[in-house]
Amino acid sequence: MGFFDEPFDFNIAAEGRVEGIAKVTGAGKYSAEYKVEGLCHAVLVGSTIAAGTIKSINVANAKQVAGVIDIITHLNKPLVPGLADEAKIKEARLGFAVFHTDKIYFKGQPIALVVAETFEDATYAASLITATYEKTEAKVDFKEASNAIPLTSAGKDRGNLSALDSAVQVVEQEYNIKAEVHNPMEMHATIAEWKAPDKLKLFDKNQGVNNVQRTFSKLFAIPVDNIEVISEFVGGGFGSGLRVWPHTLACIMAAKQLNRPVKLMLTRPQMFYSVGYRPAAWQKIKLAANSDGKFIGMHHQAKNGTSVYENFNEGITRVARLIYNFENLKTEAATVPLNLSTPTWMRGPGDCTGDFAIESAIDELSYKLNIDPVALRIKNLALDKNPESGLPWSTNYINECIEKGASMINWSNRKSTPSQLKEGDWSVGYGMAVGAWNAGRGTASAAIQMQRDGSITVQTAMTDIGTGTGISMQNIAHERTGIAKNKIKIELGNSNLPPAPSQGGSNGLSSIGGAVVSATEMLKSKLAEYAASQNDAYKGAAVNDILLSDTGISLKNANNLFISYASIWDKNKLDILEVEASSGPGAERQKYAFCSSAAHFCKVKVNVKTGKVKLERMVTVADGGKIISEKAAANQMSGAAVGGIGMALMEEQLVDEKLDSLVANDFAGYHFPVNADAPIIEVAFINKPDPNINPQGSKGLGEVGIIGTAAAIANAIYNATGKRLRDLPITPDKVLLA
Amino acid sequence: MKQEYNFSRRFFLKTSSALGALAFIPRGVKAFYEDVKNYIIPTKEQIPLKVSINKKSYAIKADTRTTLLDLLREDLNLTGAKKGCDHGQCGACTVHIDGQRVLSCLTLAATLPGKEVTTIEGLANGDQLHPMQEAFIQCDGFQCGYCTPGQIMSAVACVNEGHTKSVAEIKEFMSGNLCRCGAYNGIVESIQKVAAQ
Ligand code: FES
Ligand code: FES
Repeated sequence: MGFFDEPFDFNIAAEGRVEGIAKVTGAGKYSAEYKVEGLCHAVLVGSTIAAGTIKSINVANAKQVAGVIDIITHLNKPLVPGLADEAKIKEARLGFAVFHTDKIYFKGQPIALVVAETFEDATYAASLITATYEKTEAKVDFKEASNAIPLTSAGKDRGNLSALDSAVQVVEQEYNIKAEVHNPMEMHATIAEWKAPDKLKLFDKNQGVNNVQRTFSKLFAIPVDNIEVISEFVGGGFGSGLRVWPHTLACIMAAKQLNRPVKLMLTRPQMFYSVGYRPAAWQKIKLAANSDGKFIGMHHQAKNGTSVYENFNEGITRVARLIYNFENLKTEAATVPLNLSTPTWMRGPGDCTGDFAIESAIDELSYKLNIDPVALRIKNLALDKNPESGLPWSTNYINECIEKGASMINWSNRKSTPSQLKEGDWSVGYGMAVGAWNAGRGTASAAIQMQRDGSITVQTAMTDIGTGTGISMQNIAHERTGIAKNKIKIELGNSNLPPAPSQGGSNGLSSIGGAVVSATEMLKSKLAEYAASQNDAYKGAAVNDILLSDTGISLKNANNLFISYASIWDKNKLDILEVEASSGPGAERQKYAFCSSAAHFCKVKVNVKTGKVKLERMVTVADGGKIISEKAAANQMSGAAVGGIGMALMEEQLVDEKLDSLVANDFAGYHFPVNADAPIIEVAFINKPDPNINPQGSKGLGEVGIIGTAAAIANAIYNATGKRLRDLPITPDKVLLA
Repeated sequence: MKQEYNFSRRFFLKTSSALGALAFIPRGVKAFYEDVKNYIIPTKEQIPLKVSINKKSYAIKADTRTTLLDLLREDLNLTGAKKGCDHGQCGACTVHIDGQRVLSCLTLAATLPGKEVTTIEGLANGDQLHPMQEAFIQCDGFQCGYCTPGQIMSAVACVNEGHTKSVAEIKEFMSGNLCRCGAYNGIVESIQKVAAQ
């Protein structure tokens, strides 16, 4: 079940990720790639209206297609116990329960599922299904709909906003961001197989197998342990895999109905309305400071789009309470229901959006005050304690991130007045911004199995969505045990393994790291216990005094007491030695506040004739506590910066108000950065352990890499051109028209 | 939602020229055509094919609508080539046909006889990884790994084509292969490394 199931005997000198060979040879299996006997193929059919009721569905033509086995709609769906009546459907909190309603909430909402012998048969048949509807009025225009929605308080007021009136300088501006879509390269897919009427096996793309397992255990009223969820290789997520979505339920229902394994992979266009997105947002910031640059206060207002069937609040103003000291602060928010699918967390959820507005406003203020934006930020950082909870930071090196980043990009080359640097048709400018994220930790479990030859396998249910969880677990196990890395195997992404939280919110490594450490300690103690039968010195030995090597156990300062694993195994007639441990947050959470942070710097060139923006350099420096796997961590940061470039310059889900629907929902219409859109991203870390967050001292990095990037780019565009652009994405037309 | 990609490719090919002509025909006729189309359910055709993949020949029967990508993934259990869009927009499905990089999602299986297909599974030489595969591991040229087989097939071609003279040139000639994880740093580094060998 692990990465090493397939016999890989490649001669490899390269040191890389534990799953590296599987990934570069194509041997690693993603969810749609497992060979399952008797598998049939499913394709979803979406509604062609955005609001109303289904009157009829015509499946007759589709049924004639050779190879079609069945077509599932709300009229003939199998029984799902957890959705048996309205009350249960509500309780299930699925958003909308697929095939359990005739109501249409958005265009593309699944109304039928065609199951056929081949993918071609199913795809063709799906194209023949039509429906009639009773249409009602649909709202898809965020801007128009948001006007009517009142704001309500989002968090406790601090001080009094009237203090802002006495300020020397005030920036008061609005900011707009278009919806963005995760679009992991692997489209969401599920293979569902009912092994028995109450036993389900899923190969599924998601970020948390235990979450999927729990959800379907409730829906189908079967024990959790009767559901096996396998997600060994996950082709990216960025948040889209943190929920259980309708297509997975649809696939499982089909497998039940047909009593055959069914595979369903969303199409790329379906990915835009099936698995969430970062909602469109409006914000207003009023930021005030004294002449010396000390912030007096801020008023932060935000609205984000949601669906008509579910309320998704992004938490856009949360970040207003994280990075800077504002004596006077008011935050307000609202959600705007639209006839679109429900948005969800996307990399740096909420904070990424909120931070763009705040960091843009601070930049604007810096020009008004004539204070360098770096100095202005450093002056106002909440460096000793979390400004909201008042708890002291366990560690917070955001100031060092800023200083290091400034020196890496040669910040002194920046001109304090805009549009001073020219290269032919190009204006050159520098910009910066910072980001932070509450660093969390969940309770996770890990197991270690040791063989007679001293090799170990470390296991967890946690998924590795590309973040490098596997290699980091290996590094921690190696560091804690001393066992060589090539004798440490990693198995993950399977619900049969020790449970762990979902991989998300920058919590993955922070959570599982502690469990791996605990498991290594248990392993040491257990081995010492066995060793004690051969030598009394091992009796009650402290974990820190126990040393492991590739071949045996010894005690610190007592190397002559070496006992080989082989002799322990033989004396005790052991087959495999197995330990399992859990670890999670504790009292430290009451004593300290925790955050990861980053500073982003960039140099841009803006073409004055075409409006094209080119990133010349992008520097990102992060405080992620101790860095466990340097290459994977740097990869996370540079990848997030690439995501930030997309957010700043190109990512935009177009919505057509006349068609009530998304348009251009594919990779021809929705652009995220290709290789040539990004410079080589320069990454650095502060790399100081956080002594309190978890045993390994690392803080999550996934989010801070993207929080602030877009503002840094927008600020650089202003420095280059004198054009302040407050609406994302900053496409060439906006640059030219500004 | 009736979208073009939902129609069978064979049917689409047959009718696309007719559709082109219909652009100049009054609306009523177009609607009539749409109606008629729904009542003609073409029967599926399977044709015998001899294909050579990774120097191994296969005698198979394939649906005339089947793409090389689906043939590999669904019929031959060669799942190394990935489906990222099925539309020729992402590069995840890149394979080599007669040494050239090609999008397998835009290649009908029926066009393959007489050609040699190389997929990521055929890149290593026995138990020796291809230098590009080793470079991707060493330079951490991936995160989730889903775009990786396509990136590596393109990268090998990029080197063979000689488009490696600068970072900018590598980036340009690798821009048909999207990576949502943004592992572009490592991808470029891997190619530089192999190009320098
Ligand atoms: S799957 Fe072929 S280009 Fe995307
Ligand atoms: S490594 Fe995930 S898409 Fe490229």
